[in-house]
Amino acid sequence: MVRKSWRWSGVALVLGLGLGWMFAGPPAVFGQNSNLPASPRSMPASLFPSPVSDAKLKVFAQALALIEEQYADPKPTKDLVYGAIQGAVGTLDPHSSFMTPEEFRELQIETKGKFSGIGIEITLKDRILTVVSPIEGTPAYQAGLKSGDQIVKINGAPTKNITLMEAVKQIRGPKGSKVTLTINREGFPKPRDFAITRQIIPIRSVKARILNDGIGYIRLTNFQDQTDNDLQAYLKKMKQRLVPFKGLILDLRNDPGGLLEQAVRVSDEFLSTGLIVYTEGRNRSQNMRFYARAGQEGKVANVPMVVLINEGSASASEIVAGALKDQKRALVMGTKSFGKGSVQTIIPLEDGSALRLTTAQYFTPSGVNINEKGIQPDVVVEEKKPPADKSLQKLRDEIITRHIRREGITDKPWNQPITPAELEKDLQLQRAVEVLRHWPPKNLAQRPAPQK
Amino acid sequence: MKHLPVLKTSGRARPRSPRRVGVILLAVGLMAYFLLPAWAAPESKYDSLRLYTEALLEVSQKYVWPKQEEELIYGSLRGMMNSLDPDSSFLTAKEYQEYLQGAKEIPAEAGVVLVVKKNLLTVASVIDDGPAARAGLEPGDHIIKLDGHMLRNLTTQEANRRFQGAPNTKLKVQVLRNGEVKPLDLTITLQPLSLNTVTAQHLEQNVAYIRIRYFNRETPGELTTALKNIKKQQPPVKGIVLDLRNNARGAMEDAVRSASLLLGNQKVLLAKGRSTKTEESYPGKDRDLIFKTVPPLVVLVDEGTARAAEIMAGALRDQARATLLGVKTLGLCGLTKAFPLEDGSALVMTVSECYTPKGEKIQGKGLEPQVPAKTAEEAKAKDKTSSKEMTPAQDPWVKQAVDLLTSGKSKQVAQKEPASPGTR
Repeated sequence: MVRKSWRWSGVALVLGLGLGWMFAGPPAVFGQNSNLPASPRSMPASLFPSPVSDAKLKVFAQALALIEEQYADPKPTKDLVYGAIQGAVGTLDPHSSFMTPEEFRELQIETKGKFSGIGIEITLKDRILTVVSPIEGTPAYQAGLKSGDQIVKINGAPTKNITLMEAVKQIRGPKGSKVTLTINREGFPKPRDFAITRQIIPIRSVKARILNDGIGYIRLTNFQDQTDNDLQAYLKKMKQRLVPFKGLILDLRNDPGGLLEQAVRVSDEFLSTGLIVYTEGRNRSQNMRFYARAGQEGKVANVPMVVLINEGSASASEIVAGALKDQKRALVMGTKSFGKGSVQTIIPLEDGSALRLTTAQYFTPSGVNINEKGIQPDVVVEEKKPPADKSLQKLRDEIITRHIRREGITDKPWNQPITPAELEKDLQLQRAVEVLRHWPPKNLAQRPAPQK
Repeated sequence: MKHLPVLKTSGRARPRSPRRVGVILLAVGLMAYFLLPAWAAPESKYDSLRLYTEALLEVSQKYVWPKQEEELIYGSLRGMMNSLDPDSSFLTAKEYQEYLQGAKEIPAEAGVVLVVKKNLLTVASVIDDGPAARAGLEPGDHIIKLDGHMLRNLTTQEANRRFQGAPNTKLKVQVLRNGEVKPLDLTITLQPLSLNTVTAQHLEQNVAYIRIRYFNRETPGELTTALKNIKKQQPPVKGIVLDLRNNARGAMEDAVRSASLLLGNQKVLLAKGRSTKTEESYPGKDRDLIFKTVPPLVVLVDEGTARAAEIMAGALRDQARATLLGVKTLGLCGLTKAFPLEDGSALVMTVSECYTPKGEKIQGKGLEPQVPAKTAEEAKAKDKTSSKEMTPAQDPWVKQAVDLLTSGKSKQVAQKEPASPGTR
């Protein structure tokens, strides 16, 4: 049996690395498998101290035995142990958690990258089921769900006390079927029902547009398996279309993050050399430094660049913004980012359950701990304030209508130039365009130049 | 296709850890010792304990910040006890010593009954006119922060202790309430609870109303006075509305003595443990009986009705044909016992559970009223007026109970009863 457990634990770590970085964002509902290449190398035997002393473990075993003998209502040992693991993980940070086999299986389905649902990312914010963001172009987005919407009921059943996994399971379902979400939103006099038809949700994380005068616009919605490939494709097309290629806007606003590996690759598109990010864990195998590789950035090496961030830019987004800022490759604009810089690793346990454990923290090249501070923009530009004469409700109705009519900036084909009218609706984007038209900006201490 | 930047360090192979083998062997040994006889025991038990050591090992090795092993183990014990029921708790050595010294006089408290349900600290009941009620706390609220700190992994026992202290201590709590977008910040000033647990009044249409805020040792005496006054009424009352809503505090004895005032020596509850051998029944005393014939009785219950109040409601329904009106009760009614562990800490565990005299299980299930309270909207309307300012006569549930008593329908309902286990 002991040998069996050894074999399993080997599997655990490989899988752990494989699934590793997907929760590099605030609880994203979907993620992808990464193929993080790892050079296998054995570690010396005595790196880690003993986890738990015999005496303490004995106390636990005694407690378990007492419950099995004395508790009024017999419980399966496994339920007790799950409760215990949950309790142990409950003493850790809020991003660490325990998943039962059922919850873990659910997660693995999600990592396949395609699913039938309505296309929202949800989280438990202050224990309320909350929409992080509707994924653009999905049924949820078209129905008008908004970031920050509170889901008070799913198909009429209250979501009070619901777990994230349970919520995800209930919202998903076969293509063509309907789910009704009851939404509480500031500005709603009372919760409102949204009936949404489920579809296969393709996960596209890169959107693009251009401007008439040689400026490209790329928006990343999250970091998943295809992100860097899709980004490369757009950069290639833009380079052919925009002659000269005068500037690029990388929009990371409301991008909750994703795979660490993809954050590194995306950063590398724009950097020829130097540190991108480093991680530090207690375990040395979690200490990694990621560098840009020369010769990868050919397509857009010297194109002036503005990165847009806001408080919805988290994790992988913060890595990209931090690397491009610290290396002075881009001017970072917008508002302070979210500030989640911890890595969660999924560690499968031998019975099919799993731990999601915070195993490392990120730091930008200059050593900023993203976890505490977030990324400060070089130039602070607040989002456009709603006009005073319009009610919040009216404003949102308009936005929803616009989305339904596919009038959002990234709802149009990539090669259709952004119009001045479109620009006017997005103050931050407008400022970014202005800066690129008058490059180099004074705020940027040093003009971006490939570094040695 | 690009390649990833080179990783400076990485490790796929797990570091060899001889301790791990030791731990597992120890676990096996302990199973043999404690989970007798281990060799004959189902393999699942062995697997479960091994799973636990595996999880603990992963946490202790890989979690980004070092963690005290005692904290992990005690966290595990809390988690395990919380997974049982809200009355089961873990006590540290210090807490256990205090527990052994018996119930201390509590100088001041918030006047609230809290339970941990699904890892959420939930307000089961708020004692009428107590400090928490004055601060605006409501049953069903989830408490997420206390004095600015997130509350995580607490047991019910611990949580309730945090809401006791010296008089005039101020507690800042942040709560989530259903229907509110933002968490609410409330300040509770700890005070001793005012004395009376029972109040009574005469309603229109010659119906008596008795409210029990919570149960303590004085409750049976206070209830005796109230019932004797009602008995003196001329003409005799048409019925009694007994309000046990939002009442989750009190010991079994107090419930048995209180119920006996109406039931005499009839059985009040059954308590069943692991084997039928420990089944005990708790009949009352004949001399406590106040009425020769108990007047028609409607008992108001809600999701804040638990423990002593559930015992009393179940007994009156089964033995006095009382009609329960309201919504399903909490289902928290067990008897606990403390078990010391070898490092001085202890488990408080539910060792037997309450059943109504006719054998319906209360613990974990709750009592379903025969008459549901009128629509949720009306109940909500009640909440909005705030129970503090509303007199019983204005309370829609009380009105519904009075209608039931004066129309004579309560008897019919009671005849049809019960919502027995079989009919559910």
